[in-house]
Amino acid sequence: MDRTERLLDLVALFLDARNPVTWDEVRDAFPDEYSGSEDAAQRKFERDKAELHELGIPLSHAPETDERAAGYVLDRNAYYLPEVGLTPEELAVLYAAGSAALASGAFPGRQDLAHALRKVGFFADGPLPAPRVRLELGGVADARELPGRLELLWGAINAKKSVELDYFSPHSRTVTTRRVDPWGLALRRGVWNLVGYCHLRKDARTFHVHRIRRAEMNALKPRVPDFEVPTDFRLDAYVATWPWQHRFHQAIDVTLTLSGELAPLAQQLFPVKADLIDGVAQLSVSATDLDGLVTYLLSLGAQARVLGPPKAVARIRELAQRVLDAHRKGAS
Amino acid sequence: MSSNLAERGRSQAYERLRRLLFLVPFISKHPGLKVEEVAKAVGVSKDELLEELDLLTLVGRPPFQPDDFIDVYVEDDRVFLDLNQRLSAPPRLTAAEGVALAAAAALLKPSAGGALSSALERLEKVLPPQSVQRYREMSRQLDVATEAPDSIAVLTQAIVEHREISFEYVGVGRGETEARRVRPAELFSHRGQWYLSGFCLTRQGDRLFRVDRIATLRLLDERFAPAEGATHALPGTSEIEKPVKVRFSPELAPYQQERFGEAAVLEAGGSVVVTVPGDSERWLTRWVLSFGGNATVIEPEWAIRAVAEAAAASLQSE
Repeated sequence: MDRTERLLDLVALFLDARNPVTWDEVRDAFPDEYSGSEDAAQRKFERDKAELHELGIPLSHAPETDERAAGYVLDRNAYYLPEVGLTPEELAVLYAAGSAALASGAFPGRQDLAHALRKVGFFADGPLPAPRVRLELGGVADARELPGRLELLWGAINAKKSVELDYFSPHSRTVTTRRVDPWGLALRRGVWNLVGYCHLRKDARTFHVHRIRRAEMNALKPRVPDFEVPTDFRLDAYVATWPWQHRFHQAIDVTLTLSGELAPLAQQLFPVKADLIDGVAQLSVSATDLDGLVTYLLSLGAQARVLGPPKAVARIRELAQRVLDAHRKGAS
Repeated sequence: MSSNLAERGRSQAYERLRRLLFLVPFISKHPGLKVEEVAKAVGVSKDELLEELDLLTLVGRPPFQPDDFIDVYVEDDRVFLDLNQRLSAPPRLTAAEGVALAAAAALLKPSAGGALSSALERLEKVLPPQSVQRYREMSRQLDVATEAPDSIAVLTQAIVEHREISFEYVGVGRGETEARRVRPAELFSHRGQWYLSGFCLTRQGDRLFRVDRIATLRLLDERFAPAEGATHALPGTSEIEKPVKVRFSPELAPYQQERFGEAAVLEAGGSVVVTVPGDSERWLTRWVLSFGGNATVIEPEWAIRAVAEAAAASLQSE
């Protein structure tokens, strides 16, 4: 009997049962499948149970009572997908987001996402909404390897298995091989980041997924986790959302103003509270990468100004001067 | 199967079982659907579906008497299944499915509120109780922050609800804006820019708008019938408008090679030259400034001058 067939039979058996199903009853139902020594049969059934658990099938073992023997119980209420009760608009927006992510190619958990969309649409009447949103993810010219890498990393994150990576550093222009415990994936400015514990550097590290030249998951003991993710782990603590958040130096509080058409956009441009005085927004940003902040400010144009500290003022002037010098022949 | 495990972390049986547990209730809910339609709905090829249907005929429950088997058959290219009470609905979402869906939704800014965030709240409620903990744990492990403008959420809503919108469009030149009324068709991101395509009622024609130039966006109550199948070509894929050549210092060269691939031309000495569209002077000057002197426009003359002026303006304001 095919393994899938046996698993499906098991689900049918447990969904149908009115009383807990004893181990003897399971064995009797599948004499050819759970054959051999008691020990071997038990182990095989345990593997099947683990597979069902992974699929979220709520199978548990009920202890013996006065009325009945101990056995396996499938909680039907917890098994069946209830009507989600989404409005057509909610369903349409969810479909637009999910399909756009799938169509982009570069999204981890594509199988999971596709199944989630199917289930969400199960109770929908009529045709499912056609999404009209397209996304391009990856941030690199050659993204052919990206979908496969993301899928592998997502699988490793799910199973808590470590991965071996060949990683290219554009800074040193070398490739290093290292073992990494993958903790999580984060998309920032179109680039996928992997955060995990690096056994080579003996510390948590961030990797750009598109710079991974080769990735392999530890194939030994697929059901036994290689690591646990730290309980206080947050991707945000490792992956900068804003360009001044890379952890390059001690934090510096930089005070700046946004005037003119930038003033009303303060909330969008900086994730901090701004004071609006006479049409000028004033705010303070804590930067651990001053150059990241300064170049960001330069890209906003002359309506973004640094008030202090002097070090930040000097740096933005220095960089603006460098740009001016490099283009001066055109300005004259 | 072991190679599959090594690649994906999940067994083939897992994927098949997951598919079949959806397939049975799906067919019994839509009896008589064409083989092709069913295959499309579960994301497999026609042949793969027929294989799965074959397997289903073998599935039953002990003691495996004729009545104990799932009764599935294909007639005139249509699929039928005698209602099987046991598998009347698919299983709930797994934790991983919930996390993947929530992360995808985050691409379109649920934080901005509206239909997306209420949908996600409902979804969390239908996770199996024993998966909620795992879902919360895993939610920390997939994080999608997009630099999509806030208007993306409203524009998505307008597209799916077929509602007209109005906004002020900031032109390519400096400063001047124009009021537009548009029937939105499609939203897409390309090279880090978001675009909206649609029929512009103001200009009476199909137009492509850059989302970052859309201001004071309003969602109107007027509905419209969407045009079928019209998709807009990606901007800049064929030929670059108003090409501008920018040179990057050797220090930044490897990063630009990653981003532009073959289009980044390597020079003696290790610098690279890329060609970008100069249709927006404002975008160009700001982009070059953001490299703080490691990027230099080499031609044409107007672009060199524009960057120099922008740098001078920044210096003056400081």
